[in-house]
Amino acid sequence: MSRSDIRIAGTGGQGVITAGRILAEAAIRCGHQATHSQVYGPQSRGGASRSDVVISTGDIGFPLTDRLDLLIALSGEAYLRYLADLADDGRLIVDTGCVPGDGGDPENYPIVDTAREVSGGLLATGVVALGVLRAATGIVEAEALRETVAAKVPPRHRRMNLEALDAGMSLVGVNAL
Amino acid sequence: MTDVRKYLREWAMPHVLCPGCAHGIVLKSFLEAVDQLQLDQDKVAMVAGIGCSSRLAGYADLCTMHGTHGRAPAFATGLKLARPDLDVVVVSGDGDGLAIGGNHLIHAARRNIDITVLLLNNSIYGMTGGQVAPTTPQGAIASTSPGGNSEASFDPCRLLTGAGASFVARVLAATPIEMTKTIVEAMSHPGFAFIEIVGDCPEYFGRYNKAGGGAEMLNFIARQGESVAVPLTSKRFVNHVPAPEPRPGLRTGVLNREIRPVYSGVRGAVSDEA
Amino acid sequence: MAETRLIQGNEACALGAIAAGCRFFGGYPITPSSGIAEQMVRLLPGVGGVFIQMEDEIASLAAVIGASLGGSKAMTATSGPGFSLMQEHIGFAAMAEVPCVIVNVMRGGPSTGLPTSPSQGDVMQARWGTHGDHPAVVLAPSSVGEVHELTVRAFNLAERFRTPVILTYDEVVGHTRESVILPDRVDVVDRPRPDEDPGSFLPKRVTPDGVPPMAAFGDGYRFHVTGLAHDERGFPTQDNAVAGALLTRLHNKIDDHLDEVADVEEYMLDDADVVLFAYGIVGRSAHEAVRRARDRGVRAGLFRPRTLWPFPSGRLAEVTAGVDRVIVAEMNLGQMISEVAGAAAATTEVVGHLRADGKPITPSELLETVLAQGGDRP
Repeated sequence: MSRSDIRIAGTGGQGVITAGRILAEAAIRCGHQATHSQVYGPQSRGGASRSDVVISTGDIGFPLTDRLDLLIALSGEAYLRYLADLADDGRLIVDTGCVPGDGGDPENYPIVDTAREVSGGLLATGVVALGVLRAATGIVEAEALRETVAAKVPPRHRRMNLEALDAGMSLVGVNAL
Repeated sequence: MTDVRKYLREWAMPHVLCPGCAHGIVLKSFLEAVDQLQLDQDKVAMVAGIGCSSRLAGYADLCTMHGTHGRAPAFATGLKLARPDLDVVVVSGDGDGLAIGGNHLIHAARRNIDITVLLLNNSIYGMTGGQVAPTTPQGAIASTSPGGNSEASFDPCRLLTGAGASFVARVLAATPIEMTKTIVEAMSHPGFAFIEIVGDCPEYFGRYNKAGGGAEMLNFIARQGESVAVPLTSKRFVNHVPAPEPRPGLRTGVLNREIRPVYSGVRGAVSDEA
Repeated sequence: MAETRLIQGNEACALGAIAAGCRFFGGYPITPSSGIAEQMVRLLPGVGGVFIQMEDEIASLAAVIGASLGGSKAMTATSGPGFSLMQEHIGFAAMAEVPCVIVNVMRGGPSTGLPTSPSQGDVMQARWGTHGDHPAVVLAPSSVGEVHELTVRAFNLAERFRTPVILTYDEVVGHTRESVILPDRVDVVDRPRPDEDPGSFLPKRVTPDGVPPMAAFGDGYRFHVTGLAHDERGFPTQDNAVAGALLTRLHNKIDDHLDEVADVEEYMLDDADVVLFAYGIVGRSAHEAVRRARDRGVRAGLFRPRTLWPFPSGRLAEVTAGVDRVIVAEMNLGQMISEVAGAAAATTEVVGHLRADGKPITPSELLETVLAQGGDRP
């Protein structure tokens, strides 16, 4: 049985929660078990936001993330806050815009900028991140992700989100897998 | 007059009420109303809270419930929503309905659920031994206001009108025929109906305030009543005892009546009718 | 074959309730249980049921009891502060023997505490929260799938024994989405109904199995229901012998059927030196910790009650006989641990892994405790 603990973290309005649910449902489409959890705060809008997804080929014991196998940080705050939760052999992917100036050189892609180009705003950031995640890790099938995105977003945003997913996948070089 | 014994659980007698207490008059008037409306006893539910008034439910041969203090409107709400075929009547006291249960009462009124509430106001807590109630007049003596009540009291009918009760009436325990007539109207009203029944508690209120026994107190209450429907005349009451001067403003009769949508819960289209 | 779905525990609870035949929900908004109400208001109209949002939690359970007296299977759901308010009517339902299901999605307390964080701080309140001696049946699911299963079971036990049943799980189980396959159909139990004619009906008749048949208001049986001590006619009494017999029967109707109520998951207990006692979400961390400890050669095992109350004292005593240590892991400062200590053999050491800061107990931290307590400790 192999289990992956994944966190997508950023700020409110980036579509991080939806992205996590899409990832979990896509994993189910691929025949895996999955869980999705989020952090609930008193405010309904804005602030920090995160989605935790566990994907496993077998039954999932503890349903929350324990040590992270993958952290995708879409804001500087998320990077600083959650880096400590990463497993020793965990993989870190950050948005290029929040690469810290501390000399570190984490794997990074212009996720936020790409979302802006595709959607004109922030809302597709999470879906672009899913594209990056797919291309960088292969943990779910691209087709399953496409089907889930198409099913989960409102019809009027479907085309744009599918473009965002493809744009995310294109950010990662073919050798990244 | 009907022989209401067929609506009574005679095996449950003797009752717990004190001599001179008006609650027995209320039970008889209510059962007269049940008879006049020709209701099926199997289809009438009487839901009570806690207190002297709430003991009435035990003596009525209906579907009866003696719940918790103040919560009768909430129990009745659930029962009515689950069983719209039942006529549901709440019997409550002034402490039960207006202090601990005030919130449940006003929300049942606001929703306009189709139940009838009889609030037996005797201006004091009887069951627990004569403590001050939210209806105790300012200045009156109670076991927890030995120097005279310093708090203002509720006007239950104005409170319930404000809360949205679509039928509001006040009757006097001293006028049982009016009471029966008003209960019949209330139970026929579509939506939430509230009747304040002004009665006496000779054992505590009467004793503490030197207001006399049951007869004297009912006479006093009767003289307070200024009916908006039928002018009261002295011959209706026990009138052989001199009574104190009435307080002004105790208006009786139907004080508010309106028709508005009846609440039946969130349910499917099939059973959406009120 | 039903499909795999990604749903929250609270959603599974609502679906389980509908499957069990629940047709009435009365509730009041409170985090983290509100998702149940939000599902029930959508599901009930489609099956001929009724939903109402009441003015508070006291009223919510009152409405549920009223609906149950009318013949409906009924439930409410709440969290922490609302559960405190419901205690009054949990006692009423126990005394008047009105079947109903109360869901308490536990959050950090006391008072308003940590509204969106998990806790297991209400497990003693679920047993003893209302005043007086009363039976308690409390179920504790640990996963989304188990929430569905045990919600159905909660209704079945409530109907079988004419008693309030509390289903309690924490915020993590309530909010986390998990992939589950829900059963197409479930076994459903209905309350015992009277078969005598209304004239001779005794609403609290003492039957051999201790559960009196229950008529609904409006179905031709006229009777009295009260929270006062009462006789077989359901009428208040101050007769000490009658009152004592009533309380004894209320307890015995559960205690005499423990085999129907008890429910424990046992994992790797046969040769265990160290036993983890855990329930709800912590049971899953414990399961994982046991597995990892075994990988390292430590003979660990798990005892996870899915029925918390009545407490499985007898079974726990059996499985811990000869066990060196029992580690009680719970998200509170020590509640079930006293029950465990009372049930375990005198030679068994009982220690706690306790946490009440709003964070769930993880498999990693439990493993550390197991490794420290298990194996070769002198």
